[in-house]
Amino acid sequence: MSWFTDRHFFALAVVVYGLSTVYSVFLWRKGFRKDDHVNYFLLLAAFGLHTVAMFQRGFSLNQCPVNNLYEATTFTAWAIVAAYLVVGLLPRLRFLGAFASPVLFAIGVFALMPALDPKPGPQPEFSGALTSLHAAMILLAYGAFGLGAAAAGMFLTQQHDLKFHKLRAVLSLLPPIQRLEIITRRLVLAGLVLFTIGLEAGGQLPRPEGVSYWQDSKVVWSILMWLVYLALLLLHRIFPQSSRRFATGVIAAFAFLLLTFWGTNLLSTLHHP
Amino acid sequence: MNIVVIGLSHHSSPVELRERFAFAEAKIPDALKSLRDSGIANEAVILSTCNRVEIYAATSLEPARAFVELKQFLTRWGETLSSPNQNITKSGLEGLSPHQTDIRGQYSSPSPRRGEGRGEGVEPDNLGVAELRPPKAALNNELYTLAEPQSLHHLFKVACGLDSMVLGETEILGQLKKAYGLAFRHRHTGARLNKAFQRAFHVAKHIRTETNIQRGSVSVASVAVELAEKIFSSLADREVLVIGAGETSEKTARALLSRGAHSIIVANRSHDRAVALANELGGRAVQFDDWAGEFEKIDIAISSTSAPHHILDPAKLEPLMKARQQRPLLLIDIAVPRDIDPEVNFLENVYLYDIDDLQAIADDYLRQRKEEIVKCEAIIGEKVKVLLEKRATISLPFDLRTAPTLNKP
Repeated sequence: MSWFTDRHFFALAVVVYGLSTVYSVFLWRKGFRKDDHVNYFLLLAAFGLHTVAMFQRGFSLNQCPVNNLYEATTFTAWAIVAAYLVVGLLPRLRFLGAFASPVLFAIGVFALMPALDPKPGPQPEFSGALTSLHAAMILLAYGAFGLGAAAAGMFLTQQHDLKFHKLRAVLSLLPPIQRLEIITRRLVLAGLVLFTIGLEAGGQLPRPEGVSYWQDSKVVWSILMWLVYLALLLLHRIFPQSSRRFATGVIAAFAFLLLTFWGTNLLSTLHHP
Repeated sequence: MNIVVIGLSHHSSPVELRERFAFAEAKIPDALKSLRDSGIANEAVILSTCNRVEIYAATSLEPARAFVELKQFLTRWGETLSSPNQNITKSGLEGLSPHQTDIRGQYSSPSPRRGEGRGEGVEPDNLGVAELRPPKAALNNELYTLAEPQSLHHLFKVACGLDSMVLGETEILGQLKKAYGLAFRHRHTGARLNKAFQRAFHVAKHIRTETNIQRGSVSVASVAVELAEKIFSSLADREVLVIGAGETSEKTARALLSRGAHSIIVANRSHDRAVALANELGGRAVQFDDWAGEFEKIDIAISSTSAPHHILDPAKLEPLMKARQQRPLLLIDIAVPRDIDPEVNFLENVYLYDIDDLQAIADDYLRQRKEEIVKCEAIIGEKVKVLLEKRATISLPFDLRTAPTLNKP
């Protein structure tokens, strides 16, 4: 089956993410009253296909598959689903998958665009151990931010239902909102730590001549994102503020990240010479 | 040998009548022995709770004859209990959970109830120690009698909570297991009843996992606890403030304590009542005018004063929320008229539920349970059929039973 490439495996994974998204809508319509075993196993199956795709790509390149935008995007999605599969072992957090699967499906569909995956040339877009560390840490951070956004989405859903006395607030199997808030905060914190390590590793990379590091769009954007997430955490911790605002902030930050990541990357002379 | 059931329950008779025939736990072994020695039953189990008194008997007698004998047995038992020295109002009601005492409370008023025999020879205030006169007529319509297969259906339904006053309640299963255990330990059960009761427990477990008949809370107090568990990750460190020491707020506070709430603070216009309730609940009392000062520490407040106006509104709560650093606050307002201004619900991190909201949730859970009845009865029907078929197979001569399947070479 040599014609069955890593992209085919990833495409199959995206199909399963899509099925999971459809099933998540069903769960939402049922008010999250049904235990989410089916969705967990759908995402587990998708993760299996996704992992095969990444391994195939990695073996074909003989290095960690984070060398272009397609690979970076698929790695981010893989990090999100991997984190979910661990967290989702706890029954009360299993519904996180229902919120993560639409994000995974959207990322997957975007990643499959041909323009993101040019044929590997003599010089990959980014290479070397430090580069791999930089890329992997950053993408894992995006994964944590993404799952944090999913948890924040769950929080807002449950909080809205409780506030407006919806019956499904009590009848659903979603975790308590205080726990969702804690999970969101921890995921964002984990993401910030990974992001910091990734940025630090990136800062150690050799800089091409004639390229202004501090004026590079991706560098500026990354620092901005880092400050946004730091501010979210500090505001939540130090100043009394509503959990709803924190959750909304986490979702907005990740939406901004998703919408601007690729454009910023393309504009970056460091990342897209 | 047939399994038969005879009994009274809340469906067929009022509590004033049921309490006459209730069996004290200490007396049950003697009653079972008496049943078996008299030849009425080969095996027997007596179930006596606040809502039912039932005898399950495996008997060689024809059902019609067995029912006559069992009715006489019960009537004699009731007459024995109605002698002045017996405190029958407490018999069979010991060890009740707060939920069941809830049910008792429904009977405490002398309002007309279904079933004949109500009020005959019974003083209206009957949940205290009552002086009873012998009934004018013997039990008639109050008693129900069932032979197989209906007796097995009934046993399974009782075990699953389908025959309970609160549909789907789970305490009856524990009571049934206790009644069976008592009879078993005193060797008053045999193959028939052992099989039937063990199967009943299995069916109850099956129905609990396969249906929603036992899901959710159908009392206001339990709904309040569920809400708290949807807001707070754990009730272990939560402090509860009770403003107005009424019956429902007491029940709600108890329910929260039973789920692990840390402590209770009670404020009541009558400070003595606050102190009494606080002592019962293991908490502390504060002066009624000082309840607002406790808001910084508490997580849940239950309000049921008789104030004609709002005692808490957004203007009063906002600074209190700032002092609490915007920690989530659950407010349960069970007063009518309401104690808490509904606008308070729009404050950040404040969740306000009034009595209608809680009742709506409880009603919805009850509706869901009722929707499950058909499914449960289908399962019970199937299980009874299997039990009877197995019994029929075992009692057949060996050569008429289905031959075991041999492994093919």
